[in-house]
Amino acid sequence: MKRQIPLIIIMTLGFMFVAHSFIPHKVSVDFFDWFQDWSKAISPFAVSLGIMSLFMVHGTKIKRKVPNWQYSVITLAGLIFTALAGFIWGTQSGTPYMWLFENVQMPMSATMFALLAFYIASAAYKAFRARSAEATVLLIAAVIVMLGQVPLGAMISKWIPEASTWILNVPNLAAKRAIMIGVGLGITATSLKILLGIERTYLGGGD
Amino acid sequence: MNNNVIKFFDKIQNIDRRYIYIVVALSIIIPLLIPFNSPTYVTKPTEDIYKKIDSFAGDETKAILMSFTHDASTMPELFPMEVSVLRHCFERNIKVFTICWLPAAAPLVDYALNTAREDFDVQSGVDYCNFGYKPYVLRLPIMLGMGDDIAKAVETDSQGRKVENLEIMKNIKNYDDMNLVVDFAASGSALQWITYARARFGANIAAGVTAVMVADNYPYLQTGQLMGMFRGLKGAAEYEKLVDVFAANDRPFSKEIIKETSIAITGDTVPYKYKKARIGMNAQSVAHIMMIVFILLGNIGYFITRKKEL
Repeated sequence: MKRQIPLIIIMTLGFMFVAHSFIPHKVSVDFFDWFQDWSKAISPFAVSLGIMSLFMVHGTKIKRKVPNWQYSVITLAGLIFTALAGFIWGTQSGTPYMWLFENVQMPMSATMFALLAFYIASAAYKAFRARSAEATVLLIAAVIVMLGQVPLGAMISKWIPEASTWILNVPNLAAKRAIMIGVGLGITATSLKILLGIERTYLGGGD
Repeated sequence: MNNNVIKFFDKIQNIDRRYIYIVVALSIIIPLLIPFNSPTYVTKPTEDIYKKIDSFAGDETKAILMSFTHDASTMPELFPMEVSVLRHCFERNIKVFTICWLPAAAPLVDYALNTAREDFDVQSGVDYCNFGYKPYVLRLPIMLGMGDDIAKAVETDSQGRKVENLEIMKNIKNYDDMNLVVDFAASGSALQWITYARARFGANIAAGVTAVMVADNYPYLQTGQLMGMFRGLKGAAEYEKLVDVFAANDRPFSKEIIKETSIAITGDTVPYKYKKARIGMNAQSVAHIMMIVFILLGNIGYFITRKKEL
């Protein structure tokens, strides 16, 4: 029963959602409304579960004084302080919550993402070598796209942005579309296997 | 070949990556601190979004939805797009809704709205409405629900007010009225809007994405499933220019005018918040040039060393 009941739930709901997508009948519309209400009721529990999990993981680290446990204190303090700031003073402009966002979260997140530029620059320098015909094509395409992205490209020649657009519109698009069709077929096949109960590995426990 | 030249390229081949980091840092920081004027060429994907949004100007029965699916990490690229679109809507009296799907995006929406609205006499619930943060798990039901009834799908706005009672909802029922969704993301999240809002309800979808995600979205742009796309910081810079040239001057769009007009970003004519992307493009230009120089030097060095080895 431990396997049959989840399978029945998945198959029934799965086929009902498929039916809802293709049959705009009142019954399927009502079913969807009912599902929406349930989704809304379930999501706060997911948030609570996340907070509980965070407290348990970091609480244990602090209690056991594992290496770098101090970071766990900062994580929990950040969570509590930000939540309290939002609850007490609200989240509008000029409140401590917005101050935290503008002066802590925003610059820190942007800094982390900005590091990517340095890694990409270093990796591009090391990787873009015309070692073979394929690598040369990649190198030329990269230089054209890089130049086409900035005003300087158009200032050098009006053909550079056009060549850059062509690279994105033709070879890139063809490759992307091929990958997407493959992925799409894979998703459809896997979904059908799940709906029909052929694919059961997601239930865990091995077979 | 001169021994010194060979030595130089030998060294270049094995250059310490920290030197590359320093050059990249300087090529970004200096243009940001000392802005200079450079041309901004407007491309079709950006132009199409502008024209679509502008076609709603002053129309009480039309609105746009801005969907925020990113956090602060990608703000440097996406935030100028969002402020520009909001500015366009406020300049041209276009109803605009905002929604976000990540808790970290909620203050970001407020920040964007606060930045854009301070220059305009606009009112929440009348000229614009922030639906606020909706959990990601509700994305699909809300997306589909908005096809029937927006007020029913989102229920309350960020201030806890019943959406159905707001003045902005007059004449706005579903995607037939809120006919354009612009999804700002650092991922391929526009695909969900295409799959559900466009395929089922015929909504127009546009995407504002970071430069690294541009290639992924090209197939949808080519098929017309995306009616337009902001392509990274360049897209944001293009939109800033479009708003400066047309919306801010209450002029209709014209290809000829945009081609011939250049807006100086060095003076005080344009407030800093409305030219951030164009200043950022200066930094990007210099960084790209530096990278190309590095790649060229690396390749020259590679061939010289290989010749020596042979």
